[in-house]
Amino acid sequence: MLSDISLGRYYKADSILHRTDPRIKTLLYLVYLVVIFIIKSPVALCALGVVTVIQICMAKVSLPVIWKTVSPVLPLSLFILILNLLTIRQGNSIFNWQFINITDYGLSRAVLMAIRLIFLIVTTSLMLTLTTTPLKIADALESLFSPLKIIKVPVHEMAMMMSIALRFIPTLIEETDKIMKAQVSRGADYDTGSFINRIKGYITVLIPLFVSSFRRAEELAVAMDARCYRGGAGRTKLNPLRLRSTDVIVGLFLTSCAAALVVMDLTLR
Amino acid sequence: MEKISVQDVTFTYGSEGADVNAPEEPALEDLSLEIEKGSYTAILGANGSGKSTLAKLIDVIEVPDSGRVVVFGKDTSDDSVFWQIREKGACVFQNPDNQIVGTIVEEDVAFGPENLGIKLPELRERVDQALKDVGIYDLRLREASRLSGGQKQKLAIAGALAMRPEVLILDEATAMLDPRSRDEFLAVCEDMRLKKGLTLITITHDMSEAMRCGRIIVLSKGKKATEGTPAKIFADISLEQYGLRRPVSVRFAYEIAKLAGKTLTEEDLTGSSRLRERLYKILTAPDLKEPEGIFEERHAGAISDRRKIMSVKDLFSSYDGGATFALKNINLDVYEGEILGIVGESGCGKTTLISHMNSIMKPSSGEIEIYPEEGTTLYCSRKKDVRRIRETVGLVFQYPEYQLFEETVYKDICYGLSKMKLTAEEQKDRAVKAARSVGLEKDILRKNPFELSGGQKRRAAMAGVLAMRPKILVLDEPASGLDPAGREEMFSLIKSLRDGGTTIVIVSHNMDEAAAYCDRICCIRNGEVSEAETPEKLFCDSEKTGKFGIDQPKITKFSGLLKEELKKVMPQADFGTPVFEPEEEARSVYRAVLEARRKDVK
Repeated sequence: MLSDISLGRYYKADSILHRTDPRIKTLLYLVYLVVIFIIKSPVALCALGVVTVIQICMAKVSLPVIWKTVSPVLPLSLFILILNLLTIRQGNSIFNWQFINITDYGLSRAVLMAIRLIFLIVTTSLMLTLTTTPLKIADALESLFSPLKIIKVPVHEMAMMMSIALRFIPTLIEETDKIMKAQVSRGADYDTGSFINRIKGYITVLIPLFVSSFRRAEELAVAMDARCYRGGAGRTKLNPLRLRSTDVIVGLFLTSCAAALVVMDLTLR
Repeated sequence: MEKISVQDVTFTYGSEGADVNAPEEPALEDLSLEIEKGSYTAILGANGSGKSTLAKLIDVIEVPDSGRVVVFGKDTSDDSVFWQIREKGACVFQNPDNQIVGTIVEEDVAFGPENLGIKLPELRERVDQALKDVGIYDLRLREASRLSGGQKQKLAIAGALAMRPEVLILDEATAMLDPRSRDEFLAVCEDMRLKKGLTLITITHDMSEAMRCGRIIVLSKGKKATEGTPAKIFADISLEQYGLRRPVSVRFAYEIAKLAGKTLTEEDLTGSSRLRERLYKILTAPDLKEPEGIFEERHAGAISDRRKIMSVKDLFSSYDGGATFALKNINLDVYEGEILGIVGESGCGKTTLISHMNSIMKPSSGEIEIYPEEGTTLYCSRKKDVRRIRETVGLVFQYPEYQLFEETVYKDICYGLSKMKLTAEEQKDRAVKAARSVGLEKDILRKNPFELSGGQKRRAAMAGVLAMRPKILVLDEPASGLDPAGREEMFSLIKSLRDGGTTIVIVSHNMDEAAAYCDRICCIRNGEVSEAETPEKLFCDSEKTGKFGIDQPKITKFSGLLKEELKKVMPQADFGTPVFEPEEEARSVYRAVLEARRKDVK
């Protein structure tokens, strides 16, 4: 049921983006995050779409995988669309029926928001989760934030926590699926009935999932202990981060794309 | 000096700042034992006997409340050598998913040595070496969560070996593996022990695994019950009182010795070929005793002529919309009142098949028909039948205790019933009866399910399904994780349910249990299923078992070799079909030998 969601999953491939230094990817991700929220004009949005396609090619991720990543957030995207349509009152009315009043500004705004969310998911997946293993993301964050160690911020520990959280996403999805199947076979119903009943139904999944997560956490802690984990001090790395010239080129290329997008958007506004 | 020594150790969980009003029972009490360097030791005991705690004390994950644990001359309570000891020990635990830290195989193997601060050329060399040692070097760039159970567990040993430990502790590490992966896994560990002089400590419920060790330590309720060579331990019948059972070959041998009025010595138990030799001598001795009643016919259960209750027809199943099939053209009939076994390696499609039986998954093509009573047919692909199908077919997944969620056992059992629109009295009546049928006392119904012991939790979860009064009960590995006594109880429970009229379908990878308890067995491999047959027929058909990658039950293997040897001197002997209960098989062999000798005299 849930096992084909690829949100947050690593996609194994040998591509330019896969090989790029995770620090560069993290920084690029931040750049594109800003770009996605600055851009407003339709032409610039289309251009962003083209850049995203270039990124997809650079990551050698197949389209079905992209679809699996995006499809779980489509309902949310649709929800945002409708919410914006119904609540924004500024602009000229283009549709009016009973209490529903849709304006041209509301429409463009709603579409923009929905598209932004989809871009956000695709970019996050491409720059980080699909092309970078959780341990590498954690390495990158640890390295980028390492100056904070001076003021005693537990940078390593936070990075480790994050990478473990990411590592367990597929495991927990699998577990959720198992529990749901078991409850369904006892007569649970997650798809029909009133909204309240459905929410109640999920309790039968959430409680066992919580209990098992705690059990897993405890077992993992013991296993990490047994493997002599003692925090970041003195730890070495199998694949230490090394900045190569191709990383810099990829970084410069995508940053200039981003800059071009912003300039384009500002001039077209 | 070169040994692990546990001296008068007492240990209680949560003793630091714990609730004073509810002092926990000590997990270990006044325990003393020694383990030689380079030895191969098994630690046995019932669930909750303190085995895992002992492992944690040796690897300094816990420190004893009183007493001392000294590992190769270093005291674990001495903070200055704490890391030195922990670096020497490595553990592999039961659930592979919960010990993998890295996403990619080689990242995970590197986790341990990275913690030790091993620098780069050596780090890479260690990781590669460890991966090669366990034979998963080719998988080094794969995603760890996508490996099979056996591969994940090998990854866990690689992660341990990369730390270059002196002590390797396997904490029920084989419990979740199928027999083949289990053998492979142990072979790797034993090989490493010989090559690298590892001290190997294995905690297990599997008695034939314990037979491979040099020494066995039995724990019971946190105390040492007995210790010695496997021969000494298994020669002692009192093993049963600690919730353990003797290996099937030993049970078989003792029954033969008993029939012949002979005794077995420790010496005889020091290896299966020696044991067979001894039995051969007993059975070919000139004055073989003829015990009373041995020729009384065994009551054979009548099969066939039963009503069909479920029929799987040309079933195809796919997780990816038809690109690959998890199940291919399955045809299978289930008859009312039988125990049908479905056996096969992990990942062969067993669980997928049973998900279809309950209509949780929809077939790509084909159909499953269910006949709850004469003249009624329910179709799994028909939406309006789904509710009745789920009431007719009860499904208990592996580790059902992980699905408990209510505040009390009673409420949890009632969950399925509340969905069936029954009256409150009816619900109560059914819940209480279901609890009784799985052997749960009435006062347990008021308890919180998370307070129960592992075995009780499983029973509670099963009661939740049984309360719906299914005509067919489908069980996925019902005994996994239980100790030998618990397994036996589980299967006698299943038999009593069958005798009460419920049709049972069991998924298992334990051939001994499948053979002993199932009326018919079908094998699955790579999504293809064999015709269901009686275990006698199936396990004599070596072509078929080979095709489906099924091992013979251990008892059949052992007694088969003995029969072969006996055939050489008494070719007229007719051993008939094998029996899978060790004592019964012994009587059957004994009977055949006596009959052969009578013919000889004539």
